[in-house]
Amino acid sequence: MMKRIPSLQLHKRFILTVLLLAVFVWSLTSIHWNSELFHAGGIPTMLQIVEGLIQPNVEPRILLVGLESAWITLAYAVAGMSLAIIYAFIVGVLASGTLTSSNFSRFISKVFFRGILGFTRSIHELIWAWLFVAAVGLSPYAAILALAIPYGGILGRIFADMLNDVPKEPIIALKAAGSSRLQTLFYGYLPLVWADFISYTMYRFECAIRSSAIMSFVGLGGLGFQIQLALADLKYDAVWTFVFYLIALVILVDAWSHWVRMGLTNHKRIKGFGSGWMSVLFATLLVVGSWIYITIGENARLFELLSEKNMEYAKKFFGGLLGINQENPAFLDAESWALALRLTMETLEMSIMAIGFSTIVAFITVIPAARNIANGNLTLKKRWYNWPMFGLIRLLYIFSRSVPELVWAMMIIFIFKPGILPGALALALHNFGILGKLWAEVIEDMDPRPIRNLATAGASKIEIFFYGVLPIVLPRFLTYILYRWEVIMRTTIVVGFVGAGGLGMDFKLAMSYFDYTQITLLLLCYMILVLIADFASETTRKAVK
Amino acid sequence: MSSKTMIEAKNITKHFERKIALSSLSFSIKQGEMVALIGPSGAGKTTLLNSIAGLVPLQSGELLIDNLPLRDYKRGKKFAKKIGVIRQQFDLIGPLAVIHNVLAGKLSEWGLLKSLVSLLVPQEKESALSALERVGLRDKSYEITATLSGGEQQRVAMARLMIQNPEIILADEPVASLDPARADDVLSMLTKIVSEENQTLVASLHSVEYARKYFTRIISLKNGGIFFDLPTEKVTDEMLSDLYLLKEQE
Repeated sequence: MMKRIPSLQLHKRFILTVLLLAVFVWSLTSIHWNSELFHAGGIPTMLQIVEGLIQPNVEPRILLVGLESAWITLAYAVAGMSLAIIYAFIVGVLASGTLTSSNFSRFISKVFFRGILGFTRSIHELIWAWLFVAAVGLSPYAAILALAIPYGGILGRIFADMLNDVPKEPIIALKAAGSSRLQTLFYGYLPLVWADFISYTMYRFECAIRSSAIMSFVGLGGLGFQIQLALADLKYDAVWTFVFYLIALVILVDAWSHWVRMGLTNHKRIKGFGSGWMSVLFATLLVVGSWIYITIGENARLFELLSEKNMEYAKKFFGGLLGINQENPAFLDAESWALALRLTMETLEMSIMAIGFSTIVAFITVIPAARNIANGNLTLKKRWYNWPMFGLIRLLYIFSRSVPELVWAMMIIFIFKPGILPGALALALHNFGILGKLWAEVIEDMDPRPIRNLATAGASKIEIFFYGVLPIVLPRFLTYILYRWEVIMRTTIVVGFVGAGGLGMDFKLAMSYFDYTQITLLLLCYMILVLIADFASETTRKAVK
Repeated sequence: MSSKTMIEAKNITKHFERKIALSSLSFSIKQGEMVALIGPSGAGKTTLLNSIAGLVPLQSGELLIDNLPLRDYKRGKKFAKKIGVIRQQFDLIGPLAVIHNVLAGKLSEWGLLKSLVSLLVPQEKESALSALERVGLRDKSYEITATLSGGEQQRVAMARLMIQNPEIILADEPVASLDPARADDVLSMLTKIVSEENQTLVASLHSVEYARKYFTRIISLKNGGIFFDLPTEKVTDEMLSDLYLLKEQE
């Protein structure tokens, strides 16, 4: 047992905060802060982009294109999620070890299947899409499988965790009543976790919409494709029209998932045709509709994927990745490693900068964005500007998180020269909304009594924040920062694709030059980064506890 | 009442790491008996019930269930027909409808397909409904189990046992978290059903009053050994105060 000095224990959080701040400042020093960062025409372009935001293109033709693309985006997301759920269900059950009898086989199946889930989710969906397109060509299945694999990995892991966490007593009772392992699964485990699993799946579905939108980046249709085309034509007004479609789609899905979750937490059962059955019906229609559209409307054939020609391509591609028949594979070359590691460092700096920016913006805006502060419940002070401020900031949050990082990056790259700053900004623009929303919910859930005491003692809003709110919410704030940082780490490679620096940019170059072994090297570096991020955030989280 | 011996323990011993849970217990219980296990907490009541249920392996000694060694029984249908267990109300699947929890008593007889179909269209519904009728919950058959009160949930667990219909019922603190009125309810129902079906009941209880009121025989445990094993009418107040007092003087 290690004994700690009490004062060190007391200041642990403070020291940690200073440490994290220092890391952020260090990441900033990696940029040369001067006017060289901007394109010559960067500022005017920015003004044009803002103009387009205020006056989006509402021509009927554009609106129709937007509607069709929104449907494609939705259909891919639904199809991808439906496969992801099947994958998550099967592998998740196996990874939980609930079907195994002996301790040894349970351990083996846990390690093996959790490994599979971990591997599939550590690689970003866009990279899967790249790999599939490179291996089997442009097909809706490339997008659907690219979505299904990482999302299935995430869902499966959560599913396995849930199955492992069910209360033991009901399960023992079922087994004592003589039920078999599969019967126990269907009568015990599944009913106990299904409500939580559906909530989580609905939450992930919203993310899948955004991911589906950016699939277009590798040449697959949908809203992202239209945004990319409009950007290439410098039609910023149309860009915003499509972005608004995406936002609307995300908001609709968000509302639906909110509704479903409300229905699940409310234990009261409504007799007859309740909201739950409505959702089931709606979901079924969506899944069936999406698959019909993809197989008939888009004429995509699954067996075409497995044609001899494609198998030949895939063999060549994956053989290339492994460096078969290569003179000098990049992943065995010291010089390539040195270069790749420098890019890895850059990517790390980019992710830290991104989470730093997000944290700053969320920190400034979070107080007015909490419902219990807006209505004066927490601070006992009511001001006329509370609600307008609340609405404005919440709108900003929705706007920020509805637009995928990649789309932000595509726009920002018009203003800034390629480098890690535009990448960090794009990541920050997407993440501050998520962080702000999560934080606001933390404040909304906190115990109001200590804060009211401060308020009645005459503390100002700022004083209340530093003396009352911050000490209570800080650990959870930090947890969310770290959690988002992990996500940002996975996404850094993606913003790099459009020229925002780091590993992603080089990845794209290697793809264009068919430099397969270089791709392998970059993927290795990327996975090292993801592992570092997971490990660092896990350690920090434990330190705060 | 037949005099067939249902449970016979011969010098059974169990210890966890250094702590002795059961030290060389011997007793035999005949069919139709209603036995209360009492004793201070940590005396080994739950361990004893768990060993009879085959959940805890014994270090030494022998347990005969219906004249067959316990280890000769395989998990599954035959054992489920021999022994059923009821605990505090935590052992139901909360999100399932009441009727499915009751029908779970049939799982040992059903194949996988039938049990899956039953989740959509309840199979052998009449047996479940009549069991629920007997515990007075027929009108709640299709409600979500988690929304029921503690006493009602315990009655659902009883209905499940009725469907499973084992020869021996082991009850581990069946009324521990219920208020006195509900506890009386549950115990009188349980003992009534057991005597009607000529089943054998072994229940651990924290309350001596309930043991005296509903059971025909009391086995008291202390530090893993039997302190006394007597018909209920022969148990005196003195014995009981000895049972609980000695513990504190140690």
